Amino acid sequence: MKLLKYNKIAVLALVSITLFSCGSDDLPGESQLDFTQPEKTSLDNWIDVTYLNPYNINVQYKWNQNTVDNSRYLFPPEVDKVKPALEIVETIWLKSYAAIGGPDFVKKIAPREIVLVGGVNLNSVGTKTLGLAEGGQRVTLFETDYIDKADRENVSQFIHTIQHEYIHILNQNKPFDEKTWKTLTPGGYTADWYNYEIEESNELGFITSYARSNINEDFAETAAMILIYTKDEYAAFLAGIQSPFALQALKAKEAIVVKYFKEAFNMDFYALRDEAEKNTTSVLN
Amino acid sequence: MKMKQLYKYLFAAILILQLTACNNNTDAEQLFNETPTARLNQQKSELNDALLSSQYGWKAVYFTDNTVLGGYTHLFRFAEDGTVQMASDFDADTKTYKSEYAIQVGSTVSLTFTTKNRIHLLSDSDNYPIPALRAKGYLGDFQFLYYGQENGEIIFRTNRNNRELRFVKATAEDWLNLDQNLVMEQNVIGGEERPLFRLLETNDGTTVHKFDFSFTAATRFANSNSIESGYSVSYNMGVGYTPTGIIVSPAVEVGGQKLSDFTYNDADGSFTATGTGGVSAVIKYTTKPLVLTDDYKFLLPGQPLAWFGFFVDDYTIDSPANSPLFYAELEKVNAALPAGQSIASIQIYANHSIGTFIYYTFVGRNPLQHHVTVQEDAVGKKAILKHKSWNGNTTVATPAFLASIDKYFMDPEGLYVKAESFRLFYSDPVYTFTSASSPFRMTTWKLQ
Repeated sequence: MKLLKYNKIAVLALVSITLFSCGSDDLPGESQLDFTQPEKTSLDNWIDVTYLNPYNINVQYKWNQNTVDNSRYLFPPEVDKVKPALEIVETIWLKSYAAIGGPDFVKKIAPREIVLVGGVNLNSVGTKTLGLAEGGQRVTLFETDYIDKADRENVSQFIHTIQHEYIHILNQNKPFDEKTWKTLTPGGYTADWYNYEIEESNELGFITSYARSNINEDFAETAAMILIYTKDEYAAFLAGIQSPFALQALKAKEAIVVKYFKEAFNMDFYALRDEAEKNTTSVLN
Repeated sequence: MKMKQLYKYLFAAILILQLTACNNNTDAEQLFNETPTARLNQQKSELNDALLSSQYGWKAVYFTDNTVLGGYTHLFRFAEDGTVQMASDFDADTKTYKSEYAIQVGSTVSLTFTTKNRIHLLSDSDNYPIPALRAKGYLGDFQFLYYGQENGEIIFRTNRNNRELRFVKATAEDWLNLDQNLVMEQNVIGGEERPLFRLLETNDGTTVHKFDFSFTAATRFANSNSIESGYSVSYNMGVGYTPTGIIVSPAVEVGGQKLSDFTYNDADGSFTATGTGGVSAVIKYTTKPLVLTDDYKFLLPGQPLAWFGFFVDDYTIDSPANSPLFYAELEKVNAALPAGQSIASIQIYANHSIGTFIYYTFVGRNPLQHHVTVQEDAVGKKAILKHKSWNGNTTVATPAFLASIDKYFMDPEGLYVKAESFRLFYSDPVYTFTSASSPFRMTTWKLQ
C-alpha cells in the first residue's frame, strides 16, 4: 500500500512537472533574416508579366551559385541580352506549344525555372554544353551573350537548346517508346560522338552527332531538329541521305516522335513544327 | 522488500532528474554573445558599410592562381542602390562599366557580382590563355567570402578556389591611371630595342644570386630559375601591372624579407624592389646570355658538316625564340623584293665541301650563297663570321635587299649559338643564332 501511495504522488509530480516544465512566454518574433527583395528593374517587371504571371516560370539571370555548377567557369549574361533571349524563347517555344497544345499545356508541363548563363560552357574535351534540363524543373541556357536576333542560324541554335531540353522534360513526364527506338540504330551509339562529322552520323541514321550519345538524346535531338527545320529544309535533308538504311531509320524515328506527341499529349507534331517555323520567322523580322 | 526499495530509489532519481532538467544555467562556455543569425546580419551590414565607406571605392589586384597566372587589377565603386562601377586592366578596355552586386548570405556572408561586368572576363570557360587552362578561363571567381577587415583592407576568400583577395582603398589616381598598367605591360614584355637576355638578381645584403627570367604575357607569369650550379632556387611568380612598375605574387623572398613591389626604370628597362639592410631584387636586361655554351664550335673550321635551317613556311617561323627584330628584318627583305618574290629560308652550312656559307632561298627567285670565314672568340664563346664572297664571286657587292638582315650574321662582335631544350613539332634539335651586339635571334633546326 505504501508503495502505491508513493507511486501516485510520484506520477502526479512527474506529470505536472512535465506539463509545466520548459514553459516559455517568448513567442517566436519576426524573422531576423533580411528578406527585403531588391528593387525590381523594368526588365524584372517584364519578366514577371511575360513569364512568371502567365506560366509560373521564374527566370534567373542574376548570379546565384546554387543554380549553376560551381566547378565550371561561367558567368551571368549581359543584362542587355536577357530580354532578346527570353523573347526568342517565348515566341518560338512557349507560343508554339500554346497554339498547338492548348493555352494550358506549357503551364502544366514546363520547367519552373529558366537560368540564363552568359558564356560558353566548354567541356575539357572541347565540346560545348548548350543547355541543361535538371529533373524537369530547371532549364539552364548557355551562351546568352552571343544571341543575334538578325541571324537565323544563331537563333536556331539557341532555340535548338530550349526545344531539346523541353523534349527531355516531356519525356520525364511521359516516357516515349524506348523499346522500339532501341532497335532502330543500336550500333551507332557512342560516348565519343563528338569525334564524328554530322554527315557521317546522318548516314548511320542519326539526325546529329550528339544524337549518338544515347537513345534519350537521340529522341530529343530528332524531335528538336525537326522542329527547327522548316518543312522544306527537312525534306531536303532527307533527300540528301545516301544510305537506304539510314533513311529508313530516320523516318522510323520521326514516326515514333509523331506518335509520341499524339498519344502522350494529343498534339499534332507537324502542326507544331509549322507553328514553330512561323514564329521563328516572326522573331527574325 | 528489496523490490520496493528499488522502486523508491528509482522514483526519487527520476524526480530529481525532472526537477533539475530545464535549468537555464548553461555553464558551457559561450563563444559568442549573439546568435548565429544576429552575427550573420551584423557581418552583412559590416561588409556593406565597408564597401560604401571608401570615397574612391576599392582596388583589388586579383591573382586568381599565382602558380600559373598573374594579377588583374580591378577598381570598384559600390553604390547604395546595389550597383557597382567597375574598371579592369584585363585588356585594353580600361573604361568604367556599371553592373549589380549583392551581399549574399550562405554558409557565410559573401560579396557577389551578380550581373556581368569586367571581373567576369576572368571566368569565361571559352577564353583561356594557354591550352592547359582550356575550359577554365583565367581561373577567376566573382563571389568573395567575407573574412573581416584589417588595417583598412577588406579580406575576402574566393568562393571557388579559396584564395585570399584583399580590397584596398582606391584613390582618385588609381581610376585616372588604370590605363597606364597596360603601358607598363609593354615594359614587362620588353621592346624590340631591348637586349634579348634578362635576369633576376637578388641581394640579401652580402650575397648576390642570379636567376634567368622569362615572362609570358598571355598568362602574366614569369619563370625564374637559378643559373648557378649547386644552387637550385626558383622564383616563379605571377605579375600584376601598376602605373609605376609591377606587383608580384608570390613575393620574392630575399634574406627573410618578402619583396613584391617592383619599380620600373625606363633608362635601362629594369624593375627594382628594395627591402631594408641592403636587401634587393632586380629584374634587368643583359646583352650577354646568362649561360654561355660551346655550341658555337659547330661553325669553326675543321669540324664535320653542320647544317642549320630556318624556314618561313614551317614551324621555325612560330618559335618563341625568334626575336621581334628578326621578324622585322624578314619583313624588310620582303618589302625590298619585287612583287611576287619573298624570302623562303635562311640556312647555315658549316664546313660543307664548298665551304661555310649562309644559304638564302626565295620564292620566285634564285637562291644566294654568302660564303664566309669563321673566327673563334674562345673567351666570349662566340663565332665571328666574315664576308668572303657571294656565290663565289668576291667582287660583287651584297645585294641591297639582303644587306640589312645579313649584317646581323656578320656582327663583328660575333654570334652566340645555343642548343635549345625545346622542340618545334619535329624531333630535330633546335638551335638559335643570336647576334652579340643586337637583339637579333633566329631559330633553326639542326638538320645535319
